[in-house]
Amino acid sequence: MPIVIEVKNLTHIYGAGMPFETVALDDISFSIETGEFVALIGHTGSGKSTLIQHLNGLLPPSSGKIFVEDRDITEKGVRMWDIRRKIGLVFQYPEYQLFEETVAKDVMFGPKNLGLSEEEAEERARAAVELVGLPWDEIRERSPFALSGGQRRRVAIAGVIAMEPAVLILDEPTAGLDPKAHSDILHMVETIRAERGITIILVSHNMEDVARLADKVLVMDSGRLAMCGTPAEVFSRAEELSELGLSLPAPAEFMNRLAAAAAERGMEPPQCGALTADQAEEAVLAWLRETGRL
Amino acid sequence: MLRDITLGQYYPGESWIHRLDPRVKILGTFVYLISLFLVKDFWGFLFSVICLGVCIKVSRVPLKFMLRGLKPIFFIILFTFVINMFMTRGTTLWELGFLKITREGLYNAFFMAARLILLIIGSSLLTLTTKPISLTDGVEKLLSPLRRFGVPAHELAMMMTIALRFIPTLLEETDKIMKAQMARGADFESGNLFHRAKSLIPLLVPLFISAFRIATDLAMAMEARCYRGGDQRTRMHGMRLGGRDAAAGTLLTLYLAAIVFQAYAWPLIAPVVRQAV
Repeated sequence: MPIVIEVKNLTHIYGAGMPFETVALDDISFSIETGEFVALIGHTGSGKSTLIQHLNGLLPPSSGKIFVEDRDITEKGVRMWDIRRKIGLVFQYPEYQLFEETVAKDVMFGPKNLGLSEEEAEERARAAVELVGLPWDEIRERSPFALSGGQRRRVAIAGVIAMEPAVLILDEPTAGLDPKAHSDILHMVETIRAERGITIILVSHNMEDVARLADKVLVMDSGRLAMCGTPAEVFSRAEELSELGLSLPAPAEFMNRLAAAAAERGMEPPQCGALTADQAEEAVLAWLRETGRL
Repeated sequence: MLRDITLGQYYPGESWIHRLDPRVKILGTFVYLISLFLVKDFWGFLFSVICLGVCIKVSRVPLKFMLRGLKPIFFIILFTFVINMFMTRGTTLWELGFLKITREGLYNAFFMAARLILLIIGSSLLTLTTKPISLTDGVEKLLSPLRRFGVPAHELAMMMTIALRFIPTLLEETDKIMKAQMARGADFESGNLFHRAKSLIPLLVPLFISAFRIATDLAMAMEARCYRGGDQRTRMHGMRLGGRDAAAGTLLTLYLAAIVFQAYAWPLIAPVVRQAV
């Protein structure tokens, strides 16, 4: 697969030369392939948000390079407009950025900034709103402020999707939502990826989601890239993760404890390594079968 | 770009000025601001610039930091300068059509600009060396004698505390919304004035909504902790004036006396002195 984003030795220092100077990103390098689902995890303040703001040119790096489809976006003379149409960024609590009188106008804001005509923008807005699972005809003339919290967030995400980016970055898109809205949003992300074949970067604190959805996991710790690998690789390093203030997905934690409890009682332990509830169920059933209890 | 606003920002330090009682600093700043309107000529300004320079040196706040506070009001200074330069009547120095620069105009323009710059730097020195919390405590204490005339000293101080406390929050919020809209292709920097004003709508609408949300949440949180104004409230850190404050007060009095003398008394007695010499 071709590489869509490549980051080389990226460093960012806030307030350089001031008493409050802090190194927010410290020599980070990684690459992301087209169509990959990448999860970015790390405790609060580890530099995740700073990192993603570099990827679409909102923050200029202090040093290092960022390539988007082989173009160096840190170079002078690069039109940010070109970068931002390729890399869509959905901030945390994106519903707070809504401002227009109607849902349609708000979703059309991005496409119109790209210079599209009214008709094209509206066509894209309709497609985006339907993609996030809302009824366009019913909702288009309503005020975004009259919608429910979950719906408002979907409208805000639609506002970025309507720009038809090649990479969609979502910063904790499920923060503060109830479980139903949470799974709806993630389901929506999967749908978008399936239908548009775009690359997804998801910032999340929910290890179950990360284990279930991601192809690749980037772990940040105080501005450094602490780990990078498949969910299985990353979550096999439980001790290191807990030192970084992170945890295993609950099913993996459960399997580890079950194995330890079984070993304590002199029983043959079940196979560890399950990350999702489905995998854990399979592993437990297999174990019960093997030990002749089922 | 919004982070350049230094007014209301504290620069942590342990200098002599940092440790002064906030009341002394507030009064001192007032005296300084008033003195700027008392001075009339070059020597007076030179004296107040030197005194401010010494204070900045003692505070150990980098000068760069102080000057950054001037950036947002640069245009106001420029505007004042130009208006004063062209609009004052007097001896003409230079003329082009209806534009006229007079000697008095130039003189006024320089002094107005100098006054504005010193005003900003002088008040920045106060906010840079005083924690917002002690600043408002100082204001409350200074206003408390007026309570018997119905001035709500505590409430005013609380309003100030909240306003100062939320400057960084609102700036952060602005920054966040700006970035979110820029990610959607918004452009806040190019285009003519009308275009730019229009481009602020996607920023201002969410910002107002956020401000109201923050205000409601804060009011709720205060009520949940039974806040009911300043009646019978005691403080954790009492303010006590010390030797340092007495010294500062003396210096301040001397400064004001020197300014008043130079601006008002000296012109009167100068001929007498000269005659005597």
